[in-house]
Amino acid sequence: MRRSGLLLAPALVVYVGLFVAAAIYFFVMSFWKVKLFKVVPVFNLGNYEKVLSVNTGPFATTLLIAFAIATAATGLGFLYAWIIRFKAGPLGPPLVFIAIVTMFGGYLMKIYAWKTMLGSDGAINSALIALGIVHEPIKALLYSPFAVIISLSHFLLPFTILPIFAAMRGITDAEVESARDLGAGSWRVLFDVTIPRSRNGIIAGFALAYLLSIGDYLTAQLVGGKMAMYGQLIAPQFGSFFNWPLGSAMSFSILSTSLVIVAAVYFLLARVGRP
Amino acid sequence: MRTSTIFWRLLGLLLVIVLLSPLALVVLFAFTDKAISNFPITGFSFRWWREMVNFSDFDAALGNSLTIGVSVGLLAAVIGTMAALALVAMPPRRAQAIIAVMALPLMLPPLFLGVMLLVWYLFLGFGLGLTTVVLSHLLFALPFVVIVVYARLASFDMRIVEAARDLGASPARAFFTVTLPVIQPVVIGAGLMAVALSIDDFILTSFTIGGGNTLPILVMSTLRRSVTPMTNAVGTLLIGLSIASTLTALALTRYRG
Repeated sequence: MRRSGLLLAPALVVYVGLFVAAAIYFFVMSFWKVKLFKVVPVFNLGNYEKVLSVNTGPFATTLLIAFAIATAATGLGFLYAWIIRFKAGPLGPPLVFIAIVTMFGGYLMKIYAWKTMLGSDGAINSALIALGIVHEPIKALLYSPFAVIISLSHFLLPFTILPIFAAMRGITDAEVESARDLGAGSWRVLFDVTIPRSRNGIIAGFALAYLLSIGDYLTAQLVGGKMAMYGQLIAPQFGSFFNWPLGSAMSFSILSTSLVIVAAVYFLLARVGRP
Repeated sequence: MRTSTIFWRLLGLLLVIVLLSPLALVVLFAFTDKAISNFPITGFSFRWWREMVNFSDFDAALGNSLTIGVSVGLLAAVIGTMAALALVAMPPRRAQAIIAVMALPLMLPPLFLGVMLLVWYLFLGFGLGLTTVVLSHLLFALPFVVIVVYARLASFDMRIVEAARDLGASPARAFFTVTLPVIQPVVIGAGLMAVALSIDDFILTSFTIGGGNTLPILVMSTLRRSVTPMTNAVGTLLIGLSIASTLTALALTRYRG
């Protein structure tokens, strides 16, 4: 036991020293204030009052857009995982492989790729014009909430596929077959067996996609145009605006609201497939 | 084959195309001879690669990215393997719970982690630089290494270690002569996953580097100024480095999700 404590020590130092301690300090700071470009450790609730009164529009927009992104990514991720588990046969392993490889790299490049693809002379508009579906390029594709949603759900897709697939691997063929033998149709199997049995993976994927979306500021900055995600307002508090305490209060406010939303989704999903 | 199966497989293929095509386009346009990244491509050239290599900040950016990536890989591999060894000696339930807690930083948006670490480093009086970036990357690289190495150790037959101990080997000697040779590919693979994650990171790096370049920071600065296919060349290099480490990692660890 003592030896295992020693082995765990370096990881614990990194975790506590950089994560736990930093998070506590950061949280405490949200109750401080800034005077003459210096952080003053005086307890006050001014920052949270500001969060509740200023920029509430972007706050709500961010929660909604993140919901759209997480729903799209989880839905597509479920479809992808379901195809791997039940339909792909020998194509399954390569499909998992591609999901893992795309998860590990190219965050900036994926956003940049969507920027070039969604533009007026980008691949999507060119294709639509070549196919004769539209005559003028659709300008609204880029620099819009739509562009943010499509770019981020694409980036987050592997993050939803993998946990859902991991959960689905636990479903045995026998379970599905016995449901069928008892007369369940495809939809019945989906809602009474597949979804309930992969619930933990679905929730993990949704939570990951939702939490990563609410804090994303680069995607909106590069493809979102005039719209402002909350992260775009948080980031400058640590740069040009220099108001760390306010930035901290903003971060904790949107994070805790998101956790409540994720919990609500969890309880809603827990009802699916309950008799 | 049933028509429905064919339908689902085609749909799967379509999703793969959706997953891969943005990255494929970035790579494709890195070899265009035009000054903008769009169709039609009139000819292929290495023009933008030459431009990249001659770019003033490129050498420093590549150097920093590799230094950070390799340091994170080595540190994460050593610290993560040690932690995995400790965890595998515990009851599985407790080990899983500890791993779940350790993975919490992965659930936070990088922006929050980045600003939190920035404020913390300045409070501690650490000068921002490559070291603070390495420390920051460890936070999200470690859980990956612990998860992968722990999974390998959990299926490891501990009786051969006990046999070595019975024959008089010290715990350290038993580890280096018995355990390590068996788990080595997984440890290296997990370290390479850490390298891939580290090389790709922009957000944590930009908040904790203080100044100085890495490849993603270079990409971002070209995106802010004028975009030319040189951005694609740097991006292709970046994707190439991170995919090469991921592929090697997957081959070594046989990790499949």
